Amino acid sequence: MIDSLNFIFSQEFLVRGLIVGILISLSSALLGVSLVLKRFSMIGDGLSHVSFGAMAVACAANIAPLYFALPIVVVSAFLLLRMSESGKIKGDAAIALISTGALAVGIMATSVTTGMNIDIYNYMFGSILTMTDSDVIVSTVLSLIVIALFVIFYNEIFAITFDESFAKATGTKTSLYNTLIAVLTAVTIVIGMRMMGALLISALIIFPTVTSMRVCKSFRSVIICSAAISVFCFVSGILFSVKYETPTGATVVCLNIFVFAVFFVIRMINSKAFYGNKLLKRALLTITCILACSVYSVVLFAGTNAAEINSSNISVVTTAFAQYDFARNIVGDEGEVEMLLTPGEESHTYEPTPKDILKIKDCDVFIYGGGESEKWVDNILETIDSDVITVKMMEEVNLREEIHSEETHSDSHSHENHEHHESVYDEHVWTSPANAVSIVQAIYEAIVQADPENNEYYKQNTELYINELKKLDIDFYKMTSESKQKPVIIGDRFPLGYLMDRYKIEYYSAFPGCSAQTEANPVTIAELIYRVSYTQIPVVFKIDLGVGKVADIISEETGAEVRTLYSCHVISSEDFNNGEGYISLMRRNLENLAYAIK
Amino acid sequence: MALISCKNVCLCYENNIVIENLNFSVTEGDYLCIVGENGSGKSTLIKSILGLKDTAAGHLHYGDGLTSKGVGYLPQQTTAQKDFPASVFEVVLSGCVSHKKNRFFFGRKEKDVAEENMKKLDIYELKNKCYRELSGGQQQRVLLARALCAGKRMLLLDEPVTGLDPVATMELYSLIRKINKELGVTIIMVSHDLHAAVANAEHILHLNKSDSFFGTTEEYLLSDVYSRFGGEKV
Repeated sequence: MIDSLNFIFSQEFLVRGLIVGILISLSSALLGVSLVLKRFSMIGDGLSHVSFGAMAVACAANIAPLYFALPIVVVSAFLLLRMSESGKIKGDAAIALISTGALAVGIMATSVTTGMNIDIYNYMFGSILTMTDSDVIVSTVLSLIVIALFVIFYNEIFAITFDESFAKATGTKTSLYNTLIAVLTAVTIVIGMRMMGALLISALIIFPTVTSMRVCKSFRSVIICSAAISVFCFVSGILFSVKYETPTGATVVCLNIFVFAVFFVIRMINSKAFYGNKLLKRALLTITCILACSVYSVVLFAGTNAAEINSSNISVVTTAFAQYDFARNIVGDEGEVEMLLTPGEESHTYEPTPKDILKIKDCDVFIYGGGESEKWVDNILETIDSDVITVKMMEEVNLREEIHSEETHSDSHSHENHEHHESVYDEHVWTSPANAVSIVQAIYEAIVQADPENNEYYKQNTELYINELKKLDIDFYKMTSESKQKPVIIGDRFPLGYLMDRYKIEYYSAFPGCSAQTEANPVTIAELIYRVSYTQIPVVFKIDLGVGKVADIISEETGAEVRTLYSCHVISSEDFNNGEGYISLMRRNLENLAYAIK
Repeated sequence: MALISCKNVCLCYENNIVIENLNFSVTEGDYLCIVGENGSGKSTLIKSILGLKDTAAGHLHYGDGLTSKGVGYLPQQTTAQKDFPASVFEVVLSGCVSHKKNRFFFGRKEKDVAEENMKKLDIYELKNKCYRELSGGQQQRVLLARALCAGKRMLLLDEPVTGLDPVATMELYSLIRKINKELGVTIIMVSHDLHAAVANAEHILHLNKSDSFFGTTEEYLLSDVYSRFGGEKV
C-alpha cells in the first residue's frame, strides 16, 4: 500500500484526481444525509440521468459539457422537487419521466452525430484520470461552495429534514432551503459524474448515509460518519484501482457495498440481546471488526505491484494492435513493446487505468492512432508533462472521410441518400498496406530518435518489414485484377475503408464506419440481403471482435457463408497467443476477399 | 386582551369555501379544543393560524405581542420521522431554529432553553438517546419540548394522540393539562377524541361549514351540535 501511496503522490494527475475526488465525496455524503432522510434518494438518481443526457447533447453540439449540463441539471432538480411537492404527478413517477426522457434525448443526440464515442462513454462510467486543469478548478471550487453552504445552514437543513411542516410553521423559509439542497445536489452530481460516471454517481450520495444510519444515533454523528465513510471508500477505491487496474468509479462503489455490509452486521449483532450475554455480544462485534479490517488489508497489501518498466532498453507503448505489431517488428530484441489494449478487449469502450497513464508517461516512444475512439489520449498527453516521443498514425497518411450515412458503400458519390455527411476522418489508417509502409517509416524514425545507438539494427528490421508489406500490397493488386470484382458485403461495422479504397473494391456494409452503434437500420439490412441473393455473392463478412449479428441474419436469409475480415485494430487473445501479426492477418483477409469476389 | 381573535373569517381550500363566518378568540392561559368532522377545515384553520395561508375574508389577528412565529406547533408525525437518526437533544434544539437570528450556529442561550424544556417534560435523561428508539409517547414528549422551544406562550397541537396506546394517551393528556395549568401556556388542540376534548378543554370550537360552534365546554355540552356529533347529553 505504501508503494501505491507513493505512486499516487508522485503523479500529478492522480493527486489532482484525489483532491477533487475527496471534495466530491464529502459534498455528496453531506447532501446524501438530507436527501436519504427526506426520502429523496431517487432524485439523485434521476438527476444523474438528466446530467448524462445533457452531457451527451453538449458533446454532440460541441459545447463544454460541464457548463452546459450544470444549468440544465439545476433546473431539473428544481422541477423534480416542485413536482414531488405539489403532488400532481407522484414523485417516483416524475423522476422516472424526467430521467428516461433525458436519457432518450441524450441517446438521440449522440446517434445523429458521432455515435457512442469515448467522451460519452466516460460520462457514463466516469474517468477521474482524464480531468483537465479547468475541470479540476471548477470541481474544486464548486464542491468547496457546497460544503461551506451545508455547514453554514446545518441547523436549518436539520430542521427541514426532520420536520418540514414544523420548520415552516416556526418561520423557516423551507422552500428556500429545499431549493438550496436541490441546487447543491445538482452541482454535486454534475461535477461528480466526470469522476464516477452517470450510472454510479448516485451511489456516492446514498451509500454513506444508509450505511451510517445502521449504527449512528444522532444526526450529527450520521453526518460525520457518512463523510468519513465516503472519503475512506474513495481513497481506498483509488488505491485499489491503482493496484488492481480496475475502473475507479466501480471500485469506489464496491467498497461502499463492503462497508455497508460490515455496518449491517454490526447493527444486527447490536440489536440482538443474546440472552443478556454482553460478553458474547462484544466478542462478536470485535470479531466482525477484526474480520473486516483483515479482509480489507489483505486485499490492499497482498500481492505485488506490476513489474517496473525496464529502463535500460528502449520501451515503446502503443494503444492498439496494428501499431504494436509494427513497433515489435522494428524493435526486435532491443527493447520492450507494450500494448495498452489487452488482446480481446473492445477498442471503443476502452478506458485507461492509472497504470496505463504511467506507462505512457514513462516510455520512450508512444504510438497511437489519434481518432475518435482515442480522444482520451490527447487529454492525457496534455495533463502529463513528459518528454515521450509520440507518433500519431493519422498524421502520417492521407486521410479518408468516414461517411455517416446509412448503407455505406464504395461509390458513395453517386448515391442519393447522404443526409448527415460529417467530416469525421476514418481512423483505421493502417488497414491499407501502403499506409502501413508510411506508418512503419514514421515509427522507425521515432525509435531511432529515442535510441540512436541501435540505428543499424532497427534500419535492417524496418527494411525487411517494409519489403513484406510491399509484397502484401502487390498480392492484393494481383488478387483484384484476377477476380470478377463482385461487390463485398459486410454485415458488421466497417473499419477497412482504406483497404477497399486502395484496391478499388466495391463494398456495402451494415454500419457506416466503425461506430459503436449496435442497431442496424432495417432498410439497410433488407438491401444487403437483396444484393447478396441478386448477384449471388457467396460470402458475407463479419469483422473480428465485431457484432456479427447482421452477418448472421444475412447468411440465414441467403445461404451465403459467413467469413471474417480482420481489422488489426484489436486482436483476439487466441490469435495473439499464436503469434499472429499484421501481415498474417492481412493475408487471411486477402484469401477471404479473393474467395468472395472471384 | 385576546392572543388570537378571529372575526367573520372565511377559509378556502382549493377554491372551495370550507368555513364561513368563523368567530372565536383565544385568551392567555386558555385551553381550546378544535373538533369537527373530516374535511370540516381543521387543517386549513391550523395553516391560517400559523400564518402559512391567507384567509379568504374576515380578520384573523394576533394580539398582545404574539405572532405566528411565537406559536409552538406540534404537527402530526410523518413516516420518515419514525426511523430518523437524531438524538433527543438535536430534535428539541431544532425548535430554537427561528430564534437564532443572523447567526449560523446555536449559542449557549438556545441550548439552555432546550435543556430547560426537556427538564420540564421529564425527558432530560433521554437527552442523548436516539429519537427513533423511543416509544410513541416519549416521541410526542420530545416534540412537545421542541414546540415549547419555538413558542413558550402558545402551543398548537395537531391530533397529538394519534397512534398512541391508551396509557400513553392518558399520560399525554395530563402532561398537556400540566403545561397549561402550571406553565401557563395557552393550548389550542385539534382532536378527534370528543370525550377527551370535553374533559380537558375550557373552550370548544366545533367547526361546521356555515355555523361553527364556539363557547365554553359547559355550553358545548348543552348544545345541539354536541348531541348531533354523537356526544351524550349531560
